[in-house]
Amino acid sequence: MKEIIAGSDNINMLLARYGVKFGIYKNGEFHEQLFPYDPIPRIISAEDFAYLERGLAQRVDALNRFLADVYGAKHIIKDGVVPESFVFSSSGYLPECEGISPPADIYSHISGIDLVQAKDGTWYVLEDNLRIPSGASYPLIARELTRRANPRLFREHAIRDNRDYAALLKATMDNVNLGGINVILTPGRYNAAFFEHSYLAEKTGSVLAMPNDLFVQDCKLYYRDDRGSSRRVGAVYRRLSDEFLDPCSFRADSLIGVPNLMAAYRAGNIAILNAPGNGVADDKGIYYFVPKMIRYYLNEEPILNNAPTYLPMYEEDKTTVLDNIEKLVIKDVAEAGGYGVVFGSKMTPEEREDWRKRILREPRRFIAQEVIDFLDLDIMDAGKPVPRKADLRAFVLTGEKTTVWASGLTRFSRNPDSFIVNSSQGGGFKDTWVLSR
Amino acid sequence: MGTISLEKRDSLYWLGRYTERVYTTLNIFNKCYDRMLDSDENDYKNLCCRLDIPNIYQSHDDFIHRFLFDQTNPDSVITSLNRSYDNGIMLRDEISSETLAYLLMALDIYKASVHSDVQPMALIPVTDYLLAFWGSLDDYIYDHRCRNIIKVGRYVERLDLYYRCSFDQQDIDLTLHKLKYHLGESGLHYDQGIFDTIFAISKDKSLQTEGWHRRCAIKLLGLIAA
Repeated sequence: MKEIIAGSDNINMLLARYGVKFGIYKNGEFHEQLFPYDPIPRIISAEDFAYLERGLAQRVDALNRFLADVYGAKHIIKDGVVPESFVFSSSGYLPECEGISPPADIYSHISGIDLVQAKDGTWYVLEDNLRIPSGASYPLIARELTRRANPRLFREHAIRDNRDYAALLKATMDNVNLGGINVILTPGRYNAAFFEHSYLAEKTGSVLAMPNDLFVQDCKLYYRDDRGSSRRVGAVYRRLSDEFLDPCSFRADSLIGVPNLMAAYRAGNIAILNAPGNGVADDKGIYYFVPKMIRYYLNEEPILNNAPTYLPMYEEDKTTVLDNIEKLVIKDVAEAGGYGVVFGSKMTPEEREDWRKRILREPRRFIAQEVIDFLDLDIMDAGKPVPRKADLRAFVLTGEKTTVWASGLTRFSRNPDSFIVNSSQGGGFKDTWVLSR
Repeated sequence: MGTISLEKRDSLYWLGRYTERVYTTLNIFNKCYDRMLDSDENDYKNLCCRLDIPNIYQSHDDFIHRFLFDQTNPDSVITSLNRSYDNGIMLRDEISSETLAYLLMALDIYKASVHSDVQPMALIPVTDYLLAFWGSLDDYIYDHRCRNIIKVGRYVERLDLYYRCSFDQQDIDLTLHKLKYHLGESGLHYDQGIFDTIFAISKDKSLQTEGWHRRCAIKLLGLIAA
């Protein structure tokens, strides 16, 4: 490990060389900054990964079944497993997607599942991200560079190669492509994850398209070239949110969408990765029901644990939350990126009272979770290793079969007192090494 | 890939123009810098005039600093390099991460050199990286048209600066021939009449009446259709 720490300046220099950055808005201004990289990798044993692989594939398969059911026959609602009000009041539920069957019945092609490992070694799923999970490009390029800087390490240790992500992603797109080119649709340069959009386009051989490059004609999607001709698009890996995707179906004021894209999708002429409407399944409230979905659809016991979660919309849970608020973390189901997360232990008595009132007023808007004392990982700080909170975003790709990428994005908090690891809030990242034996 | 959108085509063309603007302007600046040292410390005024940029500078020292490093000055070299990066960043999938990296390194070292005591010398690696950028472009851009559009931008810009600064006939001739080749390969719409006129004037000494360089530079502005 000394070797890899010694080489970290080289890696950071190379990350800067390749423009491995993310965008952030501060006071209304866009800034590009380097994503702080820590050289000490998270290491996952072969045994642990085999367990995670089974659990993650199971979870994503169940979530895909849930999405097909919610926008189709709705058996899970009729059978009372997930309350109707919970599904239809979710901001991620899109009535416009009712009755649409996406190609190969896959809704979540690229899923980012956030996990933490508790101090006793137990893994917990904290969040499912089924809309546009980002972050795979960072460990992908970091590994490429680390291999160059520390070849001996990779010769002498059985570390699974993670450089197959682009091939996996391409196969995932090809699997649902309905005839035509693969396109990665980016909202543009000033999106926080633009580096990733352009890097993945380069590595998968897809065309990186701006919204103005695409148009729909006769319910088919085309990429317009500079000489007035066009090419049919068979699959679009969109990296913009549902509400901006098509101004004719969603927000009419969206300037970054493709008019009538939903009509082409509904007609079965274009594959959209991930499918619009997936937000209903990665809603922080629906998360509570994922273990029930696994039992319902797959008739299996969940392999991975959810963090113990309470839904204040249930009377019993509401009482627990109100009585124990100082021990819980409250999450706003409508927020993402580490925003809308409040720890009861850090509230003043007045704030706690205020939160109790807010929960009583809008019980559907919040969930409460027990705080998992998750395992610290060492990071280098001013030349010394120091422990910090870290999570793992695992990437699960669903094509012909569901595959868990043998790596993942390990994000850490640089603040010793914080559990928030998001890059938008100052967090950094590590590579994730999965051992092959 | 083989399909280029209108927006990408523009980015490719302007990537070529801005990158070349930085490279050739630095070369021109170095000559001006020499003259300011050796003979006329106000030579920068002549350069501003030739480049058709406002002389907003208070002295030759002010010129050296603000023409090179002032990011709020639209005519500065750093502004051109920023614009080059703005276009390049949109084209990673076409020009490759490897090629883009040279632009990034040029930009990083350029920004760092503002703190140097010997700024013109500190900028030498910038031109090295830009040359590497052009080399990388030949190796990593597989799409023939993409490569040629960037090079049209490159040679239009070079020719413009060569005319404005009255470069040698030989330099102008060489650039014209390169531009002619890349225009043909790029598939870009351009005004053949303008090209023929410039070409004729540049080749035929009898047509080179007073002010011909400037007239060619102005004609060149209309070469590529919007």
